[in-house]
Amino acid sequence: MSTIYRSLIILLPLIVFITYGKILIADKDDVFTYFGPKEFPQFNLQDLGDSEIDLKEFNGISLLNVWASWCITCLVEHPFLTKLSKNEIKLIGLNYKDSQIKANQWLEKRGDPYLFSIYDPRGDLAFDLGVTGAPETFLIFNQQIIGHIQGELNQEKWQSTFVPLINTATKANQ
Amino acid sequence: MKLSTLILCGCIFFTAFLPADSIYEFDNSVEEKRFYSLISEIRCPKCTSGSIASSDVPVSRDLKQKVYELILAGSSDKEIKAYVTERFGASSDYKPAFEGANYLLWFGPFIFLGILMLIFLSNRRL
Repeated sequence: MSTIYRSLIILLPLIVFITYGKILIADKDDVFTYFGPKEFPQFNLQDLGDSEIDLKEFNGISLLNVWASWCITCLVEHPFLTKLSKNEIKLIGLNYKDSQIKANQWLEKRGDPYLFSIYDPRGDLAFDLGVTGAPETFLIFNQQIIGHIQGELNQEKWQSTFVPLINTATKANQ
Repeated sequence: MKLSTLILCGCIFFTAFLPADSIYEFDNSVEEKRFYSLISEIRCPKCTSGSIASSDVPVSRDLKQKVYELILAGSSDKEIKAYVTERFGASSDYKPAFEGANYLLWFGPFIFLGILMLIFLSNRRL
């Protein structure tokens, strides 16, 4: 009996400590355990070709990728985004704190995987979205933000984070 | 005066006026105090740990500017914090509100200490 009691003295605080830690330390990779789905914010911006943008573009499943011509990691994820856009994924760009000329040159030089890119030179829409830098990618379903990845989007993150969210969202809608 | 002394004085003179950050101007000192206390309580979303007051990454600069604008527009501290956490998550508030699940955050260490004390005391009586 005494050994059980003694081991309990050591184990109990340990269990309490670990449980407490588990509750407090949320997984930073999955930002949406914090937010939950939220409405796509209203904005008053044009695309890189100076055309108006309709919020209806965010119906169904779409990806919003935050990018800039000054962003090195955007170059790294560019081939993967190009691949995604060929797989019938609706990919929309959010050009973040960039110059319009440089951004258009960048797309001309490297290829444009985006349906269109929203031009956000001051980062207004990006601020409302909670963007902390480039690149970041948002998963949008019927004008609701349902997923968010900070940093490079690659095959691994796509499979582990976005694919399950897309499956859940489309199933729930059927 | 020696040339070296003159150069040294010149260096001191010119560096003294370099501001480390943008200058935020307020109508009164209450608003100014609120601004500096708020920016030290909002976490820099791009940093491992640190407030936006201690950070100069673009997103922190935007946040400071927004807090400044909101103060001038007459928003309360609570409204400003809500504005920030809505966009950058609950973890961007270094001083979480005294409510709901946050009680665990505030009282957790004391509960933990209490349990330890109880175990320690009951062990001594044996």
